[in-house]
Amino acid sequence: MAWAIRRVGLSILLIWIAASIVFLAIRLVPGDPAELLMAQGGAPADPGAVAALHTQLGLDRPMAAQYVDSFRRLLHGDLGESLQDGTPVAGEIMRRLPRTLELIGTAAAIALLIGVPAGLAAALRRGGAFDRASSAVSTLGLATPIFVIGTLIVLIFAQLLRWVPAGGYVPLAQAPLRHFGLLLMPACAIAFGLASTMFRMTRTAVLDVSQRDYVRTARAKGVARRRVLIHHVLRNALMPVVTVLALQLGTLLGGTVLVEYVFNYPGLSGMLVDAVNARDYPEVEGIVLVISILFVTLNLAVDLLYAALDPRVRQG
Amino acid sequence: MRRLNWLPVAAVAAIAIVALATPLLPLPDPLAMDIAGRLAPPSRAHWLGQDQYGRDVLSRLLWGSRVSLGVAVLACGAAVALGTALGLAGGFLGRLAELLALRSMDIVLCFPPLLLALLVVTLLGPGAATLVPLLALLYLPGFVRVVYAGVLSVRSQDYAEAMRALGATRLRIMTRTILPNIGGPILVQFSLTMASAIVLESGLSFLGLGVVPPAPSWGLMIGAARSTMAQAPLLLLWPCLALSLTILAMNALCDALRDAVDPQRAPRPAGLRGTLAPHAPSLAPDGDALLALRGLTVEIDTPAGAIRPVRDVSLRLSPGETLALVGESGSGKSLTGLAAMGLLPPAARVVAGDIRVDGRDLRRLDETALRRLRGTAMAMVFQDPLSSLNPVHRIGAQIGEAVRAHHRLPARAVRERAVGLLRRVGIPDPERRARSFAHELSGGMRQRAMIAMAIANDPRLLIADEPTTALDTTVQAQILELISGLKRQGGMAILFITHSLPVVAEIADTLAVMYAGEIVEQGAAAALFARPLHPYTAALLASVPGEDGALPRSIPGTVPAPHDLPPGCRFAPRCAHRRDACEAAHPPLAPVGDDRLTRCIRWRDFAGTRPSAETAA
Repeated sequence: MAWAIRRVGLSILLIWIAASIVFLAIRLVPGDPAELLMAQGGAPADPGAVAALHTQLGLDRPMAAQYVDSFRRLLHGDLGESLQDGTPVAGEIMRRLPRTLELIGTAAAIALLIGVPAGLAAALRRGGAFDRASSAVSTLGLATPIFVIGTLIVLIFAQLLRWVPAGGYVPLAQAPLRHFGLLLMPACAIAFGLASTMFRMTRTAVLDVSQRDYVRTARAKGVARRRVLIHHVLRNALMPVVTVLALQLGTLLGGTVLVEYVFNYPGLSGMLVDAVNARDYPEVEGIVLVISILFVTLNLAVDLLYAALDPRVRQG
Repeated sequence: MRRLNWLPVAAVAAIAIVALATPLLPLPDPLAMDIAGRLAPPSRAHWLGQDQYGRDVLSRLLWGSRVSLGVAVLACGAAVALGTALGLAGGFLGRLAELLALRSMDIVLCFPPLLLALLVVTLLGPGAATLVPLLALLYLPGFVRVVYAGVLSVRSQDYAEAMRALGATRLRIMTRTILPNIGGPILVQFSLTMASAIVLESGLSFLGLGVVPPAPSWGLMIGAARSTMAQAPLLLLWPCLALSLTILAMNALCDALRDAVDPQRAPRPAGLRGTLAPHAPSLAPDGDALLALRGLTVEIDTPAGAIRPVRDVSLRLSPGETLALVGESGSGKSLTGLAAMGLLPPAARVVAGDIRVDGRDLRRLDETALRRLRGTAMAMVFQDPLSSLNPVHRIGAQIGEAVRAHHRLPARAVRERAVGLLRRVGIPDPERRARSFAHELSGGMRQRAMIAMAIANDPRLLIADEPTTALDTTVQAQILELISGLKRQGGMAILFITHSLPVVAEIADTLAVMYAGEIVEQGAAAALFARPLHPYTAALLASVPGEDGALPRSIPGTVPAPHDLPPGCRFAPRCAHRRDACEAAHPPLAPVGDDRLTRCIRWRDFAGTRPSAETAA
């Protein structure tokens, strides 16, 4: 228990550090953000407009005051207003975040449902035809960047075969079937690489655990093969698999950028790319912060889950 | 270091050479536009066709490889240099440096990589000048950790200690002992990072946030070809292919390096399958014997060819009898025990002989029938109780599992039975211990729990494979006491496998001594202890401190490897009594008097020398 509390405390500390870094990065990097923003046309910025923007962003106040102020607002869930259209950043993030999470969740589910059973099957018949075929496919999955797979999926299924539209998004309430149809393509693009990783991890872990003494003990007790497989082999093999899945999901929190861009999917990452291109600092700051918090929380969840799976961790 | 697979090394080298040699090749200018040749298909002048501005695709592809690889190499090189310095500093310069070097890396790790990249690009603007330091920063934590972990493991090793004792400075120790030792892991991390950097660079360029056009880059080419994919799908294919093949080669290189550097990752024969093939004619039942092995021969396939670590082993064990199977490591005694359980590792198989437990021929049984016998007819206790207990299940549940494997009982009854068994093996407070995990128990208690598990269904045959070897001496005695107590309680037969003769002096009725895969002497325990009829038995007896205070004498030499056995008597090269005749022919296991067998042709001459005289000599 003390371990869990310490771990939660560390995560809160990390989130605070992340928020501070985002705050400082924007203010300390050479170049005035307001000037940069206003000067984008190539012409020098209008001093009046720059000053107005400074006031709007609070950049004219002392750094310490800005810092305290931004954290106070942060605690109230206020991430400021977009420079592009003045709408609250937090509201737009909350509108888009569920879409990105749905995409990641679907991809993870597909990857787990394919990767883990395939890895188990390959390990049980090591060197067999299935093992060789699936290992080759996973090698390909690991070597193909996510945007290449996405682009190829669009090329093949939307352009050449014309089975599906090239991308987009429809709310679930509006047209459930179409919603899932559009979700499936980007999810599959993500799941290909993810399932390959899951497959590899499961296969390696099962092979490793099968050799362990306690599996031999279980067999020596006369425990049925299926039970040995599930309660002893898979139960222990899943620990590294879960860890890797969580690490991958964390990477995906930022990594859906590419897939959302390819499939024109209006998630959080797409918003980030737009914000980056428009130099919309409050938006960039807000999105980076939200994703970092999710990322740190996810890592925390993994550690806690790991402790639940492995009694040995709880002691350390 | 194991042998390196050179194929991926050659592939990566080929890619690097092409990238380096691109300026020397007679290629069209990758930036030269030709609006007339817009989206032109492959031709003699343009082997891979022309892009949407009529630029030569092949030329752009090759020049693009320079950009992609160049950015990745520069970034990874910087990350290696800085990461190694930080990791070494963290490992050597005291707690504060350790804290700063490692914790600062945690901060980098609290942003998803691509997100951090986007944040930095927002602030600094796109371009290669941003990409290199950015990627270096992203991959820094990986190197710091690899180096730090390497330093920690090397620092504690003998040669680093020795150098420190010799007065070497820290810097000298670092450069002379540690760097060469962590070179392997760094190399692996480098190849891993290179692949990742190429992916990230191309991804950012694809979004228009990496390399700035019109410079050729694979990511940019894919991004640009997307808009014309309906007219010219091939334009999309080439950079995709180049990118994937490069990463494929890098990944393969990484795997090859890892296999070569880390022996633990070396492929091992594995799998859960490994039942005995039901074949071979069966001999007549062995009377009332509980365990009867006849001419058991086990073969294992190794890269160097098949070996036979157990050859022609015959043993007979009656109800209530305790037989000690004694021999050095590598003598084949554990494999013999596993064969009697039908639990040989997948690579091993019985190629000849007969295994009968309670009259049933194990080689004729399928896995289901074997499973029913395991735990009921025969049970096994293993050497290392910590690794033999499942770390994630409670002790009580693991014992209960042994019960439930053979009996349909309500959960409550199973629980009570498990607690009762723990009590029976002398574990105090069994209700509480049943809820413990293996790591929460002491070594002695773990072994008691293993024994409780083995006797859960009152097996008639207990095979104990070095059950006391991993334990402290005092605990050893307790476990031996427990086993002999169990022996007195019921008619359980025990096959006690050990490398130490004194351990079994109290408990064994009969002894079988194994050497290099075969039995060299067999007989009643008391007679063997009093008058060994094989020099190896005598040497084993002499290798432990005698009760009269005689000093132990080790046996010179080592057990011969199974693929390199001496032609005659297997023990001859290490034997003080050898004659030419010993090395001429392989001696048979011959009966000598009452129920005694020996494989020594000189046993008559040898029988004169008592073990005590031998020790004193």
